[in-house]
Amino acid sequence: MDRTSLSGFIEMSLAAIVHEMLCGAVAAAGFGVLFNVSPRRLPLCAASGALALAVRTGCLEAGLNLEGASFAAALSISVAVQLLRTNMDISPTALDVVGCIPMIPGSLAAKAILGLFATATSSVVNSQQLVTAVQYTISVAFVIVAIGTGLAIPTLLLRLRLPLNRRRSEAA
Amino acid sequence: MPRLSPAKSMSSQTLDAIATAALDVARLLMESGANARSVEEIGKIVARGLGAESADLRIGYASLALTIGANQVSITRMKSVGHIGVNQRLEQALWQLANSIAQRQRTPAEIGEELASLGAKTSRYAAWVTAVSVGLACAAFGRLLGMDWRATGPVFLAAALGQYIRHVLLRSQLNAFICTAIVSAVSSVLAGIGGRWTGSKTIGLAVIASVLLLVPGVPSVNALTDVLEGHPTLGSARAITVMMTLIFIAVGLWIGPVFLGLLK
Repeated sequence: MDRTSLSGFIEMSLAAIVHEMLCGAVAAAGFGVLFNVSPRRLPLCAASGALALAVRTGCLEAGLNLEGASFAAALSISVAVQLLRTNMDISPTALDVVGCIPMIPGSLAAKAILGLFATATSSVVNSQQLVTAVQYTISVAFVIVAIGTGLAIPTLLLRLRLPLNRRRSEAA
Repeated sequence: MPRLSPAKSMSSQTLDAIATAALDVARLLMESGANARSVEEIGKIVARGLGAESADLRIGYASLALTIGANQVSITRMKSVGHIGVNQRLEQALWQLANSIAQRQRTPAEIGEELASLGAKTSRYAAWVTAVSVGLACAAFGRLLGMDWRATGPVFLAAALGQYIRHVLLRSQLNAFICTAIVSAVSSVLAGIGGRWTGSKTIGLAVIASVLLLVPGVPSVNALTDVLEGHPTLGSARAITVMMTLIFIAVGLWIGPVFLGLLK
């Protein structure tokens, strides 16, 4: 890749990442309102969504598949939230889950179910349609597993205790 | 009610009050969309903070059971769980309440009073604010899926109206799955017709983006984390609910845009 095409690729990647970050931020903040996150915390929801989409897009541009990129994004969000929680009175799922909501493959899920419906109701067996629907279904399952695992690992490793637990362990 | 001390012997009546308070907090946490670990952690903190020496909580999708004990007396109480939604402000308030119980001794009666006042303290956004926010979120989702700009307006309007309809239907106690199918059908038809009217080349994506407000994101993540953290029964129940919701979204898409030929 020569220098011109490399800079063009970087510019394209940057533009794509900024676009994804903006959309991710709006989606996360919008869902933050739906999930009744307090107004003070909505900017953090937006930041969380933007970070998730930035990491995912960066990983996709670097050649990772959707499942791997979603896992990396969820992991980074969860680590960031665990580190932030030391200074904030916020529930543990408020930020990380809202940040990951834009990565939930709702579109793939809808296409998968519609494909399965179409296969079930069609009088002629269309094997390509069936294979595509099953591929979408598997992809949805793997992406959700990747997001859930990415969110859970830092929580399990860096679990923070409430003062009572700390007090009890100190007393012991 | 006098302040409780673990050193004094506890009657089953006192333990009953503690169990009721702890189960009320745990139930509210479940209904606000917390995962099993949070419910278990907070439930035990409340029970122990109020004076119980031991606390064991069993978390089911539709009910909670708590066994607490002190000075060789133990009781088990059960509580049913209502509709599980997502309410982060309530969840945060319950974490703060548990924190306060951990820091200073409280009585079950005080906790009951605080729980009664939580509804007013953690009010939801106005329905129109939520509708506009959800509309914007779905339009942004559409862009993430690769939808063109011409479809963003119709998706915004369709999703916002869909959210308002969902709010009204859920308040009228309609079954959540039926409500999902109705909103899916209305929003997707509106987005499809609107996209066609604005000349969008990505009507299929617009139709799907307009129903993404219905995708149960929090329950699906909770389902997995619950299984990973040692609550496979609750995780499986959540996963089944997620699957049923997705099926009803598809039913809405089927009877709406597919029937009208907007989505092939």
